Amino acid sequence: MEQQLVQQLPSTGVGSKLPHLAECVYLDYNATTPIYPEVSEAMKPYIYELFGNPSSVHAYGQQTRAAVDKARQQVAGLINCSPDEVAFTSCGTESDNWALWGAVMARRGSSSSSSSSSQQGLPHVVTSQIEHPAVTACLRSMAEQGLCTFTAVPVDSQGLISVTDVVSALTPNTVLVSIMHSNNEVGSLQPVAAIAAAVRQAAPGCLVHSDAAQSMGKVAVDVQQLGVDLLTLVGHKFGAPKGVAALYIRQGVQLANLLSGGSQERGRRGGTENVLLLAGLGAAAELAQLEADATAAHMRSMRDRLAAGLLAALPRHLVRINGPQDSALQLPNTLSISVKGLSAPSLLQMLAQKLAASAGAACHSSHGPAVSPVLQAMRLHPDYAVGTLRLSTGRHTTADEVDRAVTLIVGAARKQGLEFGSSGSSSDTANGTAAH
Amino acid sequence: MPSAAEVKSLFRQFLRVGRKFPNYNIRHYIQRRSKDEFHSLAANTDAAAVEAAWQRAKSQLEVWQRQSVVYQLYGRKVKTVLELDQAAAARQHAG
Repeated sequence: MEQQLVQQLPSTGVGSKLPHLAECVYLDYNATTPIYPEVSEAMKPYIYELFGNPSSVHAYGQQTRAAVDKARQQVAGLINCSPDEVAFTSCGTESDNWALWGAVMARRGSSSSSSSSSQQGLPHVVTSQIEHPAVTACLRSMAEQGLCTFTAVPVDSQGLISVTDVVSALTPNTVLVSIMHSNNEVGSLQPVAAIAAAVRQAAPGCLVHSDAAQSMGKVAVDVQQLGVDLLTLVGHKFGAPKGVAALYIRQGVQLANLLSGGSQERGRRGGTENVLLLAGLGAAAELAQLEADATAAHMRSMRDRLAAGLLAALPRHLVRINGPQDSALQLPNTLSISVKGLSAPSLLQMLAQKLAASAGAACHSSHGPAVSPVLQAMRLHPDYAVGTLRLSTGRHTTADEVDRAVTLIVGAARKQGLEFGSSGSSSDTANGTAAH
Repeated sequence: MPSAAEVKSLFRQFLRVGRKFPNYNIRHYIQRRSKDEFHSLAANTDAAAVEAAWQRAKSQLEVWQRQSVVYQLYGRKVKTVLELDQAAAARQHAG
């Protein structure tokens, strides 16, 4: 049977859809990761046997209480903090919202009891123009409700934030600086440690939060080294299931509760613990710590292979790679590549059954493509922004998948009418970084 | 401290259990990771580190053995085009 099928198909295997074949290559690890087998293994007892409420004092509760405590230790081990400083949440959005809301409301609570509260002004937050919507949308919502004001500092053409810009944005009312550890679209690693140190000096009472959702399992994240007060980490970005995350809260930091209810999470976040998912989060954290170097090296190798393949096959004068030129300032797995003249949303639509990746723009029927705020903040020319693909490798990516992705992308680019004939200039500095 | 023969045997067991996974990505991951890890173990002269890695490897093998059964039960039963390409390439090479 297989012999017949091989004879019917073109040599590349790309052809008629066959029901018993999976065609789709996954290069969207920044969107989410599969649950790793070791993580699945760790979760199984909590599906079948161990179901007690961790708040119960009897044997059933003790077993699941132990699982929650173990997960807390495993996460603490990954980011180098005390288990008491780890608070579990349902997702990265909850962690980010809690950090922002909690810091602002804690300050409002303390200033309302002050006799000079009317003169102090609204709490102020400093963030960046490339944060995840879980930060920016939350701040916008809080500002619209008159709870705070905020300043979003710009980034340079490489997607990097300047420490000076952050410090310049501080005001006497600034209660929180929230800067992401790494950017999900272009992979730029922000100078969070330098920012935290500068903020401590310029505004000693101000808290520092970092959304490290994209960094876990890819680069080292040590909260002591970073000097942050709050840090978000998200399970489904590094092999844990979706629906579980954590917020690191440095000992001594006062945050107002986002969820009020039972006394779970030391009274900071009510709600029965999701033991099943927490077991997975803990296992993923332990795995990330154990395999850090090996996984990062593999991701980088696959990413570099992908970049080299695309740069060799696509018209060089039309291509640029976005993000920091210094690879040490970039996530090892992220490739943001722009092709002038290409429509990335259309390409991904065409290849939807064969290639899983993301675009730097979305199709928008009435006003044309909607370019991502990150690429806009980097002042990437719209001609390149529309043609931006975000490809992200992972722990399980193979070289064959990378090579196939290159073939698929180049083939689809040809079908869009991309001009492969002329060589042109090898660089285009219209908006910053040249192809590298 | 495991003997060289024991290490080789364990390594082969890893490769064998890796082949049992129907999932293309997991199968390749286990093979790649096993080779990398065992090669680095071979170069390690620290007895305590080798012993710790040995114990870890034995428990990891049990994890893979159980998971291979689960993946065979619940994993998708389809091949990927990459496997088809590899089979075609192997036939071409053999022919």
